[in-house]
Amino acid sequence: MTERPYGIMAEFDTPDALMEAVRATRRAGFTRIDAFSPFPLPDLAEELGIRTSIIPWIAFVAALIGAGLQYGSQYWMNAVDYPLNVGGRPLNSWPTFIPSTLIVAILWAGAATLLGLLVILRLPRLHHPVFSAHGFERVTNDRFFLCVLGEDPLFDNGATRDFLEGLSPLAVREVPA
Amino acid sequence: MTSEAQAVTRTVAEVPLTRRFGVVWWGALLASGALVLLLGYTLVSVTLVGVGVWGINVPFVWGFDLINYAWWIGIANGASLFAAILVLRRHDLRTAVNRFAEGVAFFAVICAGIFPIIHLGRPWLFYWVFPYPATFQVWPQFRSTLTWDFWAISTHAIVTSLLWYVGLIPDLATLRDRARSRAVKRIYGVFALGWRGSVRDWAYHQRAYRLVAILVLPLILIMQSTVAFEFAVTLVPDWHETRQPLHFVATGLAQGLSIVLLVAVLLRWGLRLGPYIDEGDIDLLGKLVLASALVSGYLYLDEIVSALLADRIAQEATFNRLTGDYAGLYWTAIVYSILIPQLLWFEVARRSTLACVFVGFSIGVGIWFDRFSIIVGGLQTDYLPSIWRTYSPTLAETGLFLGTVGLFAALLLLFVRFLPVVSMFETRHDEHEEKSS
Repeated sequence: MTERPYGIMAEFDTPDALMEAVRATRRAGFTRIDAFSPFPLPDLAEELGIRTSIIPWIAFVAALIGAGLQYGSQYWMNAVDYPLNVGGRPLNSWPTFIPSTLIVAILWAGAATLLGLLVILRLPRLHHPVFSAHGFERVTNDRFFLCVLGEDPLFDNGATRDFLEGLSPLAVREVPA
Repeated sequence: MTSEAQAVTRTVAEVPLTRRFGVVWWGALLASGALVLLLGYTLVSVTLVGVGVWGINVPFVWGFDLINYAWWIGIANGASLFAAILVLRRHDLRTAVNRFAEGVAFFAVICAGIFPIIHLGRPWLFYWVFPYPATFQVWPQFRSTLTWDFWAISTHAIVTSLLWYVGLIPDLATLRDRARSRAVKRIYGVFALGWRGSVRDWAYHQRAYRLVAILVLPLILIMQSTVAFEFAVTLVPDWHETRQPLHFVATGLAQGLSIVLLVAVLLRWGLRLGPYIDEGDIDLLGKLVLASALVSGYLYLDEIVSALLADRIAQEATFNRLTGDYAGLYWTAIVYSILIPQLLWFEVARRSTLACVFVGFSIGVGIWFDRFSIIVGGLQTDYLPSIWRTYSPTLAETGLFLGTVGLFAALLLLFVRFLPVVSMFETRHDEHEEKSS
C-alpha cells in the first residue's frame, strides 16, 4: 500500500465555484479540508467555521501588559528607586507618565498582534506540500483551490478524486505528502 | 489562457519584475543618491565637530534640527493617519493609495528620526533615554517630553514598518509566483514567508491588519501632540499654549495628505497606473487636501485670536512672528499652505497632474515655513530682551535637510521599483465585487 498523499486538490476559476464546491464537500461529510484563494473570502471563511476572535484578545492583553510595564517602570524609577524632584513636582507625576504609557501600550498591541499573526499562521514556512501541486502558483493570481486533506477520516484516494471530479473543477490533482 | 483577473494586476506586478528601469528613474536615483552622500557628510561633520557647525546659539537652542524633525514627523503622521482612516472606513480609495501612504509614512519617520538623535550633540549616547540599568545608577527623567518622543518615534517606526510588511506578504507571494528568473523568485519567496493564500490565513491576516491599522490612529494623535508638547511645556511665551497640539495635528494632516497627493499623481504619471489610481481617486484626494487646508486656515485664525486673549508678553511674541524679522516665514506659510490650495476648488485643477503636483508641493513648503516660523520666530522674543537676536541656518544644516529629502526620495524610488505600489490582492477583491454586484 502506498503512503497517503497530503491531499487532493481541485482547481476552480471563480470564487463562487469554490464556494459551491466547499459546500458540497462539507455536505458529503469531509471535515479536513482547506481552501485557497488569491484574495480574502470572508463568506467562505465563515462557511468553514473559521473564528478569528483571538486576534483582538492578543491586542488587548498585550496593550494591558505594555501599559502596566511602562507606567510601573516610570513610577518605580522616578519615584521609588531614584526619587527625582523636579521643581517640587510630585514624585508620581501621573499626567506626565500618561503619554508614553499610551504609546507603549500601542507598541505592544501592534507588535504582538502582527507577530502573533505569524505564529498563528505558522509562517515563515517556505516549503509546504501544496506548493508541489502543478499549477498551484496561480493561487496568488486568479485561481481558487479546494484541497481535501489525506488525514480526513473519509479520505480514499480513488473515491475522493472521483467526488472532486464531480464538482466540475478545471482540474483535479494529487498533492504528494 | 489569460483570464481577466490575471490581467487586472499585471501592470502593478510587472513594474517590479521588469529589468528595464528607465532613464528618468536612474536620473532621479542618481540625484537623490548624491543627496544621501551629502547627508552622510553632514552627519559625520556634526558628529566629529559638534553642533557648533550649526547656526544655533542662545536663545535659538533649536534651529533646523527641530524644524525639519517637526516637518518630517508631520508628513509621517499625516500619511499614517490617512491610511488608517481609509482602512477604518473600508473606503474604495484604500486599495489605490493605502500601500504607498504607509510607505510615505515609514520613510518620513526614518528621516524624522535622524534629527532628534543628531541634535543631542553627542548622538552616540542617544540610548541614554532608554531605561536600562546603567552603571551610574540614574534613570531617565520620564517627565521630560524628550523621553516621550523616544517612545513615540520608535513605536511609530516599528508599528508602521510591521504593518506595511504584513500587508505586503500576499503581494510578495504574487511576485514570487510571477517571477521569471529563479533568483528573483527566491528573493521574493523568502520575503513572502511561504504565503499560500489559505482562506483561514486570509481571515486572520485581514483581522490583524485592520486591527493594527486602527491602533495607528490614536498613536498618531498622541505622537503629533507629543511633538507639540515639546514646545508647549517650555516657558517660551509664544509656545506656552494649550492650542499647540491641535495646531500640529491639523497642519500635520494637511501636510501628510498633500505629500500623498503629490506621490499619487507622480506614480500615476510615472508608472502609468491610471486604471488603479483612477481620476476619481485623485479627485477625492484633492478634495481632502483642500478640506484639510481649510482646517489649517482655521487654526491659523485661532492662533491670532488666542494671542489677542493672551497676556501681553505672549501677545507680543506672537505678533512679533507676524510682523517682526521673521514675518516673511509666517506669511509664506499662509500663502503656500492656505491660499494656493484654494486652487483645488476647481475640478479642472483637481484633475490636472501639474496642478496637483504644484499644490501638493506648495503645502509641503508652506508647512515647512510654518514650523520655521514657530520655532525660530517663537524663540526670538523670550522674556529677556538682552538675548534677542536672529538666527540663520548654516550650510551644514541646509545640507542635512537636503540630505534627508534625498534619502526620502531614494527610498521612495526603490520602493516603487521593487515592490507593488498598489495592493494587488485588494484590487482583485474589488474587481470581483464589482463584477458580482
